Amino acid sequence: MATRKTIRVDYLARVEGEGALDLHIADGKVTEARLNIFEPPRFFEGFLPGRSYTELPDIVARICGICPIAYQMGAVHAVENAFGVTVGGQLRALRRLIYCGEWIESHALHVVMLHAPDFLGYPDAIRMAAEHGEVVKNGLFLKKTGNEILRILGGREIHPVNVRAGGFYHAPTRADLAPLAEMLKRSRDIAVDVVRWTAGFPFPDFTQDYEFVALRHPDEYPFNEGRLVSSRGLDIDIAEYENEFEERHVAHSTALHSVLKKRGAYLVGPLARYALNFDRLPASIQALAREAGLGPVCADPFRSITVRGIELVYACEEALRIIADYDPPSGGSVAVEPRAGTGYGCTEAPRGICWHRYDFEADGVIRAARIVPPTSQNQPSIEADLKGVAQALVDAPDDVIRGRCEQAIRNYDPCISCSTHFLKLRVHRA
Amino acid sequence: MTRRLLVVGLGNPDRGDDAVGAMIARSLAGRLPAGAALRERAGDMLSLIDDWHGYDAVICIDAAAPAGEPGRIHRLDAARDALAPDLAFASSHAYGLAEAVALARQLGLLPRDLVIYAVEGLGFEAGAPLSAPVAASLRVASERVAAEAQRLARHGAAAQA
Repeated sequence: MATRKTIRVDYLARVEGEGALDLHIADGKVTEARLNIFEPPRFFEGFLPGRSYTELPDIVARICGICPIAYQMGAVHAVENAFGVTVGGQLRALRRLIYCGEWIESHALHVVMLHAPDFLGYPDAIRMAAEHGEVVKNGLFLKKTGNEILRILGGREIHPVNVRAGGFYHAPTRADLAPLAEMLKRSRDIAVDVVRWTAGFPFPDFTQDYEFVALRHPDEYPFNEGRLVSSRGLDIDIAEYENEFEERHVAHSTALHSVLKKRGAYLVGPLARYALNFDRLPASIQALAREAGLGPVCADPFRSITVRGIELVYACEEALRIIADYDPPSGGSVAVEPRAGTGYGCTEAPRGICWHRYDFEADGVIRAARIVPPTSQNQPSIEADLKGVAQALVDAPDDVIRGRCEQAIRNYDPCISCSTHFLKLRVHRA
Repeated sequence: MTRRLLVVGLGNPDRGDDAVGAMIARSLAGRLPAGAALRERAGDMLSLIDDWHGYDAVICIDAAAPAGEPGRIHRLDAARDALAPDLAFASSHAYGLAEAVALARQLGLLPRDLVIYAVEGLGFEAGAPLSAPVAASLRVASERVAAEAQRLARHGAAAQA
C-alpha cells in the first residue's frame, strides 16, 4: 500500500525574517521540499525610480539591518560604473574595511548565536550559554567589533549614513581607527578559536554537487570587485549577469528564485567564495583551514559554519592590514558628475553575491532599478539540500527530520527579510 | 554617591506604535537626574548587553505586542523577575529584548537594576503614526519613567516594589 506523509514547520526560529517549510514524503521518497517565504514584498525597486543617485545609498541601506553595507556598496559601485568614476587608493581600502565590519558582525551573530546551538544540541544560544558562556561572550565581542567598524566608518551601526558615490561624506583620521585595531587583534584570536571550536562539531555525512558562483579578483579575496565566476566555467563581467541568470516566480514564495539559464540551481555565499578564492587567502589562513579539516573546496553545507569562521579570521586580518597601512586621504570622496547611462554593481554580501543594475537620466535621477539579493539566489539550492537531507532520514521520526531540516536551512544564514524576500516546516506523509 | 543610570528607548520610530519607546525617551531629555545617560536603539537588541555595561541601573522603554488593551503601561523588574516566555515585544529580529535580557542573565551581565516599561501597541504599520490609545498614554508613561529614573538614581528598584 502506498504511504504518504507531510512534515511541516510553520515557523523557523533563529533566522532573520519569516518563512515556513513543507516536506512531502511518499513510499519512502521525499517527493518535494518547499521553502515558503511569505514575508510581504517590499517594492524597493518600485520606489527607487524618480529618486536621485545621491539618495540611493541611504535608501538601499534600509533593505537590511544586518547587511546594509552590501546594499550600499552594490549601489555606489553601480553609480560609479554608470558615471565613469573610479574610486581607488585609501578610499577604496576604506570600503573594504567597512565591508570587513559587516562580515564580522554578520558571521559572528550567525556562527555563535544562531547556528552553533544546532550542532551542540541546544534550542538556542541562551541555553548554550549555560555551558559555553565564554564562547558566547567572545561571540558578542566579535559582533561588537564589527558593529564598531560600521559605527566609526558608517556614522552608525544600523543603516549607516556616511557612504556616498565617490567614497564617504567624511574620512576617518588615524586616531579614529586606532581603537579598532586593538579590538581587531583580540577578535582575530577569538575567530581562530571559533574555527577550531566548530571544526570539532559532529557533522552529518552530506555533500552536494553545487555549482559555486562568486566574485573573483586578480589578487584579493573578494568584497567589492571582480569577475563573476563559477566552478563550471562561467567567467563573465558583472554587466553580463542578466544574460546568464534569470529570476522566476514560484507560487509558494514571495521571493523570486534565481537560476542559471543553462544549468539551473547554483550556490552563492561562504562555501562558493571559499572554493573559488582559496588561493586568495593568506597562507596562514589556508593552513588554519587545513588544520580545521577543510580542503580547498568544501561541498558540505553543514561545514559552512567553519568556513564562515575562516572568513571571520580573514576579515579581522584584512581590517588590521588596512588600518596599519592607512594614510588619510585629503577628502572623503572623489568628484562624481552624473550622466545618462546604465551601471552595474556586484559585491560579496555575507550571504553571497548581491547584484544591482540601475538606469540613470542625464541629471542622475534613477529611471529603473533591479536588485538581486543572495538569499533568493540560494533558494533552489536550499530546497535541493532539504530534499537530500530529509531523504537520508526518511524513516526517522518527524521531529528528527524537522530538526535536521531547520539546521540545513540555517546552513545558509538566510536573510528572509532581504529575500522578499522567511520560516515555518511541514512534513506531509500519507 | 549617585548611581550610574541609563535610559534606553527601543524600537523602530517609523513603524506605528513601535515608535513609542523612542518618543518617550525623547520626551525625557532634560528631565533625568544629573549624569544619567539617555539613548535610543532600533533593530538589533543584542547590543543592549554592551549598552548597559558599566551602569548600576537601566530603564528600557519598548512597545509590547497587542493584547487587547492598547496604551496600557506595563512595568517589569527584569533584574529580579524572569520575563514570561510568552511576553511578546515588537521585534522581527532573531534576538529581541526578552532574549537579550535572558542571555545577559545567563552570562552574568545584567545590570543590578533593570526596569522595563512596555506600552501595549495597537498597530505597527510602516510609516504609520502612533495609534490614538498609545498617543494618549505617552504623557503618563513619560512621567512614570521620569519618576522611576529619579528613584533608581537614588536607590535600587526594590525600593519601588
